[in-house]
Amino acid sequence: MSSEYTNAGTVGDRSYGQPQQQSATMHYLCAECGVKVGINKGEPIRCKECGHRILYKQRTRRMVQFEAR
Amino acid sequence: MPAATVKPNTSFETLKREHLFRNPPKDKSAFPALIEAIKPHVDSFNAVTEEGGLLDLARKEIGVKAVFDGKDGGNRGNKISFRIDKIYVGKPAISLRDKTSLKREIYPAEARERHVTYRGRLTARVGFKINNGQWQHIDRECGNLPIMVRSNRCHLEGLSPYDLIERKEESEELGGYFIVNGNEKLIRLLIVQRRNHPMAIIRPSFAKRGKSYSQYGVQIRAVRPDQTSQTNVLHYLNDGNVTFRFSWRKNEYLVPAVMVLKALVETNDRQIFDGLLSMADRENTFLTDRVELLLRTYKAYQLYSRTETLQYLGEKFRIVMRVAPDMTDVEVGMEFLRKIVLVHLDDPKDKFRMLLFMIRKLYGLVEGSCSPDNPDAIQHQEILLGGFLYGMILKERIEEYLDNVMSEIRRQVTRGTLVDFNNKDHRVRVFSKVNENIGNALEYFLSTGNLSSPSGLDLQQVSGFTVVAEKINFYRFISHFRMVHRGSFFAQLKTTTVRRLLPESWGFLCPVHTPDGSPCGLLNHFAHKCRITTTISDTSTVRPSLASLGVVSPAANPRPASATFCIQLDGSIVGWCSPKQAQSVAEALRYWKVDGTHGIPLDLEIGYVPESHGGQFPGLFLFSQQARMIRPVKYLPLEKEDIVGPFEQPYMSIAVRDSEILAGEHTHVEFDPTNILSIVANMTPFSDFNQSPRNMYQCQMSKQTMGTPGTAIRHRTDNKSYRLQTGQTPVVRAPLYNDYGLDNFPNGMNAIVAVISYTGYDMDDAMIMNKSAHERGFGHGTVYKTEQIGWDSNKSRGGKKSEFIFGFQNSAAVSDLVNEITYKPAEWSEDDRRKAFRKLGVRGEWLSTVDEDGLPVVGKKVTKGDAVAVYHEPPHDPDQVAEHKCFTYKGDEDAYIDEVRLLANESQDKPMQTFTIKYRIPRSPNIGDKFSSRHGQKGVLSQKWPATDMPFTESGMQPDIIINPHAFPSRMTIGMFVESLAGKSGALHGIAQDSTPFKFSEDNTAGDYFGKQLLAAGYNYHGNEPMYSGITGEELAADIYIGVVYYQRLRHMVNDKYQVRTTGKISELTHQPIKGRKKGGGIRVGEMERDSLLAHGSAFLLQDRLFNCSDYTKTSICRECGSFLSTMTTIRKMGSVSRVRCRRCAKEATGFEDDGIVWEDGLGGRFVGGANTTTVAVPYVLKYLDVELAAMGIAMKFNVCP
Repeated sequence: MSSEYTNAGTVGDRSYGQPQQQSATMHYLCAECGVKVGINKGEPIRCKECGHRILYKQRTRRMVQFEAR
Repeated sequence: MPAATVKPNTSFETLKREHLFRNPPKDKSAFPALIEAIKPHVDSFNAVTEEGGLLDLARKEIGVKAVFDGKDGGNRGNKISFRIDKIYVGKPAISLRDKTSLKREIYPAEARERHVTYRGRLTARVGFKINNGQWQHIDRECGNLPIMVRSNRCHLEGLSPYDLIERKEESEELGGYFIVNGNEKLIRLLIVQRRNHPMAIIRPSFAKRGKSYSQYGVQIRAVRPDQTSQTNVLHYLNDGNVTFRFSWRKNEYLVPAVMVLKALVETNDRQIFDGLLSMADRENTFLTDRVELLLRTYKAYQLYSRTETLQYLGEKFRIVMRVAPDMTDVEVGMEFLRKIVLVHLDDPKDKFRMLLFMIRKLYGLVEGSCSPDNPDAIQHQEILLGGFLYGMILKERIEEYLDNVMSEIRRQVTRGTLVDFNNKDHRVRVFSKVNENIGNALEYFLSTGNLSSPSGLDLQQVSGFTVVAEKINFYRFISHFRMVHRGSFFAQLKTTTVRRLLPESWGFLCPVHTPDGSPCGLLNHFAHKCRITTTISDTSTVRPSLASLGVVSPAANPRPASATFCIQLDGSIVGWCSPKQAQSVAEALRYWKVDGTHGIPLDLEIGYVPESHGGQFPGLFLFSQQARMIRPVKYLPLEKEDIVGPFEQPYMSIAVRDSEILAGEHTHVEFDPTNILSIVANMTPFSDFNQSPRNMYQCQMSKQTMGTPGTAIRHRTDNKSYRLQTGQTPVVRAPLYNDYGLDNFPNGMNAIVAVISYTGYDMDDAMIMNKSAHERGFGHGTVYKTEQIGWDSNKSRGGKKSEFIFGFQNSAAVSDLVNEITYKPAEWSEDDRRKAFRKLGVRGEWLSTVDEDGLPVVGKKVTKGDAVAVYHEPPHDPDQVAEHKCFTYKGDEDAYIDEVRLLANESQDKPMQTFTIKYRIPRSPNIGDKFSSRHGQKGVLSQKWPATDMPFTESGMQPDIIINPHAFPSRMTIGMFVESLAGKSGALHGIAQDSTPFKFSEDNTAGDYFGKQLLAAGYNYHGNEPMYSGITGEELAADIYIGVVYYQRLRHMVNDKYQVRTTGKISELTHQPIKGRKKGGGIRVGEMERDSLLAHGSAFLLQDRLFNCSDYTKTSICRECGSFLSTMTTIRKMGSVSRVRCRRCAKEATGFEDDGIVWEDGLGGRFVGGANTTTVAVPYVLKYLDVELAAMGIAMKFNVCP
């Protein structure tokens, strides 16, 4: 609990040393064909390859650490 | 097992199972028994939609409807006729407007994930003709029809397990349900009266229909080929007359039975008399008197020929039948007979004969020569299948649609609008004025279970037709499809007769698997071998076969005097023979049908009801149609499988076991005694050793177990779903466990169980768990919750509603700021940070759980109040900073973001409006969680006992679970002891133990069988062992019974139930604590709790609970007038404090008083006196009561003392 959240009230464990992408494009996975789809803010949700209507958000690349108990 | 001739299969089939997991079959499922279990649902739906299916029959039955355009002055004008030429049901696909998608199909998984309905396009080809011209047609779109999963309109039809997994389904996806708004809904199976068989009924309410009506009646539920039904009732009048009753569009009508007879065929009194009474009957003056009266009283109508009768009927029923205006009365009369009287028969002659038979049965009932039929017995029941009901509703909706088109034309005609059907535009205009969305009506039906129908569909209820197929675990899921309900009408009945378990149900309904409590006996489950027919068997050879057996044709007139025994096939009289001959006819038919010769279908039901004194009305009744329950038994003469139904079973001799067979007595034998049990009841090990209610409890509890809902959990978005992380295959199980593939869905864990009173923490059904077992993962579970987040785009009321979008207005700036802060945390004070974020319109703490896209971070732990989504309204001026808002996590427990699904907007080029989050909440066993063995022995975890302090055996074994010996004497669950023995020896020898009930006997006991196995493993024969105290190390005085028992973790967990409160929310009106766990309310200390506290003399506690912790209020009261309401605080003057005065006891100041005693109210009034007030503590409701009473003009006065 505490290890995960050092700067209480602010940004917490932002990825140290990992430069943030400057573009607002986020990449998601298409539920149908599994391809990575970049979606900008305000863009409609559609797979760019197959036009599927569901996208999955990828698991975070940031470190996720929990107390194991 | 007992004196085993066949070596029992003791393998766990681990390799086979693993192979199946890794290589799902590419041809067909490995578990045909499962597919068989849900077959009635899928097949009944297929029967509706297939080519030439029930929908096609319904279309024909609707027929032609006509309307006139009134263009010809006073005359009717042009006649426009309508009919339905074709109904197409398409497979689910995306809309035609969508051009971006590669694949057009929508699979069920997508419907579930997007929380939409799995539906296909419904198109009707409406045929029309003007006057006597050519039939033309027009295709109309009728909305989207919900489609049953794995039916012939589903993309998953006939797919192999391998392909199903490709489509994100379970490998053993069974289908049989609909997906409505992402929920899996299924249409309940309902019990209805057996079709096409007249049933004699004595019902006191019949006598209330009118003067001279009696309690006797004969009722028949006639079913058309399209599965819609029409019930006809014959009533006996006290004078001997018979009336024919039917209900049409929810109204009841009565017609003299003779009138119907005379309308059906050209006949005369003699013919009716001959048809009703056999030669023997004519000696019976009771019968002859009544028939004479029946015929005589009809003379009053003065209708002699068939035409006259039809004309009379047509005239009376013209309005009711809603026929075209140009039909003659005779035609209307014919239509009446076609649509209402014995609709299962086509030929009026057949109807005539059947009606005569019904009248004869009615007289038999009145006379007492036959007994009433029991409508609660399964013998007179059949199953209303979901697909058929669906088809019935669809038919009615389509007919309604045509009616609406016609009334629209009629409205236009009366309004004087031009109606020109030759003009295409006019035509389309008429159609488009009518509500064409039939699919929507069906979706409403599925999502609510409510039936809105003009005719009522001949059913006794209007709601509760659908249920959600909950996937808590697989047992519960599969049980939904095997469930059959008696009808919600019977749930309110005070009598218990309908709930009774009748011997007729043997083999069709499981005697064990019914819930206890209010639905007991009304909600039953099919025995696992019971099937439901969904097609008509081919009976074309039955009539010739009967003729070859010497049966007299029904048309023979006069009948031979000996031919008094009626033979019917599906409610149509197919012949007569003598009572003696009938038995041999029945026997020959049965032999032929099992043998497969003479073309008699195997599932033909041959109900031979012999002649008796006051028993069921005799006859040979053959049934071949849909919706019957059937089950396999062995036919002894041929040693082959025979299919029997509930109508014939009471008249058959079926031995339960081979050893019981008596030559000359039994014709059949059961394949297995466990065939009478349902799937779930069969999974109770050694259930024949238990007291029967315990087996019922186990059936309940296995359905509430936190088990494995399936293997496609990743693709499911149920609102709440439970999962057991450490499921195991039971050591002790019946072979059926493998047949139903239940290893794919483990439902519990094998546990070492010691029956010992060790700590005192296992009193009253509490149990102790070994803490180390807990730490090894025993019973560890997970709860998944799915939440939809977003805005309902459909409900945009008030036109221009502001549009929100997910994410940050300037995510680049936000991430810059975040980077800066993370790299140089020292340079940012708490305050600076907040201000910097504030400038961007966001809050810093959101960013620990939300990404730049405004959606939650997958894998993150969230606690109550954490943001899971950030959104904003884009300002009109792009330079302006938008105010961001957030959705928060509302659950009480910490959860992990497991999955986030982004769902496309309905309108294509709009940004996302909804997405779903799947939370994962780990739930390790907690004190207070519920567990149970498979014998109705539930208990609550009371302690996680340290392994060091647990008792141990000589070999060093410690129990995982300790239960109290007191759990057994009163409950008599010997099966649990046997399971413990069997489990122990199974574990020691590494074998799977067969726990099928009815395998042991007095000579070959289970205790001996498993005891010897234990001996062979070097253990005590009886299953008990010396144990040592874990605390002192001393040997315990008694040997302890210890073994392996399969334990289930139930879904009732303290975390969902605990309720505590000291202070909190109160009700606005009474100031008392509110109730409800969700709102943080308290548990009521009720009257009985109060009584017990009183009895204990614990007055202080009582005061605390009922007063101090409730609506304790301090209030001022006037000692003189004793009123709460008249006291008030005075206006504070300079230098003095505010005082409390009674306005009522005060007098207005004259101005001459001393300033010190004058006080002022808020309105500037000045008073003196009224100073005798005090403060008391009272319940707030008392004040409220005073106010309420005051409003009625009643004053309350309290005497205050001392």
